[in-house]
Amino acid sequence: MAVKIRLRRMGQKKAPFYRIIVADSRSPRDGRFIDEIGTYDPNTDPSTFKIDEEKAKKWLADGAQPTEVVGKLFKTAGIEK
Amino acid sequence: MEKIFEQALLYDFYGELLTEHQQRIYEDVVYNDMSLGEIAQECGISRQGVHDLIKRCDRILQDYEQKLHLVERFTKAKQKIAEIVDLADAETNADADTEAEHDAEAEKGARATDAEMRQKRMQRIRKLAEQIMEEL
Repeated sequence: MAVKIRLRRMGQKKAPFYRIIVADSRSPRDGRFIDEIGTYDPNTDPSTFKIDEEKAKKWLADGAQPTEVVGKLFKTAGIEK
Repeated sequence: MEKIFEQALLYDFYGELLTEHQQRIYEDVVYNDMSLGEIAQECGISRQGVHDLIKRCDRILQDYEQKLHLVERFTKAKQKIAEIVDLADAETNADADTEAEHDAEAEKGARATDAEMRQKRMQRIRKLAEQIMEEL
């Protein structure tokens, strides 16, 4: 089972706010997720994010694939496998 | 600005002008951060097809923005309103501070500068309000 780490949009219209979640790659749209490891708020200047580093590292070590944006956030946060 | 954020804002403003099919696929990108491969698999079209479709939607939405500037105006107004809120907060806190102080001499001096500060804040708020009105 492929597991991905991706953003999921929350928040209302015109104020996008994202959760960073871990989910099965086959259920990107049904709202289910395995774990929530942080948040990303691009509305602030500069944008702010919170990542549970321990969980992130654990999931990466387990082979979860981050999407491009999440990969960038991890890099900014200094999280690597 | 992060691309997904830019796309999400454009979609919030102009998304309804896309066709239903375009909306569905664009939402996969901006709401669920799905990759081209995943969308392709799900919709039964080629990866290249998804890529082209998203690119086309990006262009359509940016084209609307260039003509209507709704996102730009919204963002500018939002920044100014945030500044007004900050100024109002500063004003509220300043009130609380003066009430706390009770040393007579120090209070006199503090009051003069407080009044100045207040005036400055009010002027700034008025200026911001004017700018918002102009840009509407």
